[in-house]
Amino acid sequence: MAKVVVVTSGKGGVGKTTSTAALGAALAQMGESVVVVDFDVGLRNLDLILGAERRVVFDLINVVQGIAKLSQALIRDKRLENLWLLPASQTRDKDALTDDGVRKIIAELRTKFDWILCDSPAGIERGAMLAMRYADEAVIVTNPEVSSVRDSDRIIGMLDSKTVKAERGERVEKHVLITRYDSARASRGEMLSIDDILEILATPLLGIIPESQDVLRASNVGSPVTLNNAASAPARAYTDAVRRLMGESVTMTVPLERKGFMNRLLGRRAA
Amino acid sequence: MMNLLRLINGRNASAPVARERLQILLAHERGLRGQPDLLELLRAEILAVVSRHVAIDPEKVVVRMDRGKHVSTLEVDIEVPNGVQRSIAAVGA
Amino acid sequence: MNAMAQPTRQLVRMRGRSYVAFVFSPVVPIVGWLEEIDATLARSPGFFVGKPVVLDLSAVELSQTAIAHLITSLEQRNIRVLGIEGVDAGHLTMSMPPLLTGGRHCLLAQNEPKEPNEPQAKPKPTSLLLESPVRSGQSIVFAEGDVTVLGSVGSGAEIVAGGSIHIYGTLRGRAMAGIEGNASARIYCQKIEAELLAIDGYYQTAEDISATLRSRPAQAWLAGDIMRITPLNLDGRGGNNG
Repeated sequence: MAKVVVVTSGKGGVGKTTSTAALGAALAQMGESVVVVDFDVGLRNLDLILGAERRVVFDLINVVQGIAKLSQALIRDKRLENLWLLPASQTRDKDALTDDGVRKIIAELRTKFDWILCDSPAGIERGAMLAMRYADEAVIVTNPEVSSVRDSDRIIGMLDSKTVKAERGERVEKHVLITRYDSARASRGEMLSIDDILEILATPLLGIIPESQDVLRASNVGSPVTLNNAASAPARAYTDAVRRLMGESVTMTVPLERKGFMNRLLGRRAA
Repeated sequence: MMNLLRLINGRNASAPVARERLQILLAHERGLRGQPDLLELLRAEILAVVSRHVAIDPEKVVVRMDRGKHVSTLEVDIEVPNGVQRSIAAVGA
Repeated sequence: MNAMAQPTRQLVRMRGRSYVAFVFSPVVPIVGWLEEIDATLARSPGFFVGKPVVLDLSAVELSQTAIAHLITSLEQRNIRVLGIEGVDAGHLTMSMPPLLTGGRHCLLAQNEPKEPNEPQAKPKPTSLLLESPVRSGQSIVFAEGDVTVLGSVGSGAEIVAGGSIHIYGTLRGRAMAGIEGNASARIYCQKIEAELLAIDGYYQTAEDISATLRSRPAQAWLAGDIMRITPLNLDGRGGNNG
């Protein structure tokens, strides 16, 4: 049975696109067939993070408009043959993305893939609403920071009311993914703690992704971090998160303080 | 100390890769704001020409593009009736 | 040292009131839908005159111009729209009726010939129970009585009740109790981090809530026209030692 998972947050810049790419790649690396769909209207990002920016011909709105077939718009990843991308449009016309169009595309994607990850844009407007509308599950990306937590709470409320599942009285399974976690700042009390965030959001934790240069490096070269540096802390955290998404029970690793410069130099990797 | 840093950073330098990717991508995207995209035009016209001679099934048309810094590649794969697959490759600068 | 006494502050009253409105839900094609309205008007010409009408646009996709056109079409039929729901705020201009949220179903009083033996109306519920947290941005309005929440109320969420408000969790948003003029309504919560509290129109914002109370169990109540917020002793000791 195909699963549609929306990766959303409300707040911008918290790591939705990075996470969609990382989770998608990790699923593909485990043998699942995955399509990642960029729901932004006007600002494409997922293609860039996946390194497919030079190969985009058709996009989601072209398919909605009937200019292209789904199979013509889908771009296969060059490194992972199970990973496909449906890029976003560069048009500024938000009305071009219609509910009916999205419904049909999601229905067709369900017949072709095991996992459909929808990368939601920030905010609560049309793109974000349509990204979540047909979701079975949701990953709510949250930074340990007050406005991100509040926005995540808002989005959780919308997942429980604005989705087709909610309208039918069914539950969208929700998970919180904490990103940009800085253990040093957390231990100094400068950052909201994991417990604070979970208490406020009252939603199960999918994973904790540490702040890391590996993520930046990965997007610089256009390769999801789980592929570019699978041994890095964020990659391992994303892989654990994917295992939990697939129903496995994995002990939660809270990222430890990053070791100092000298230890890194001598080759000792942090947690 | 500086040598050590350069050694480490040199091994991991991803910023130059990012810069190059952005240069190619933005050159393409800025170009779109001026004149029409050459590769897009080629694609549309190739399909129009072929469809004048052969009835094309949209499902059987695959278009692939790879935009490079100096050379971009447009690949148009069309399955024409009688089961014979013809491949047309065009190269645009 | 503050030698001057605090100037007496005039409490500003804000009241909430609920009204019953007719909801019109246009469907496509709009022209056909307007024809239905005309048919109703032909049967009873004054039917909608003077009645508050809300336009629910969630079943249609209308541009800003189309919405303006629809409002005008209704005005031409002597139907004045007092509010609009089911659409993005961005689609409405300042000259259009305001965007409404939080509308709830209710029965409309019949003006047409009443049935002689109306069946007993079901006893109205006087208390609303919510078994999951109230999320940021959600607005719960229950004018008929108390509201109880088994969970927290998120920052940016609001509970509006005709009676008291009981929160078995942390109140981070806004709670407005006693909105129908009930000055004895109270607000109770296990942890107070509220943005705003109001009882019968008298309100206090977060900065007025004493720092010593924050993050502790508390209750808010009106003593005359002053809102008292006091610790709630959950261990059973004492009572209203305000």
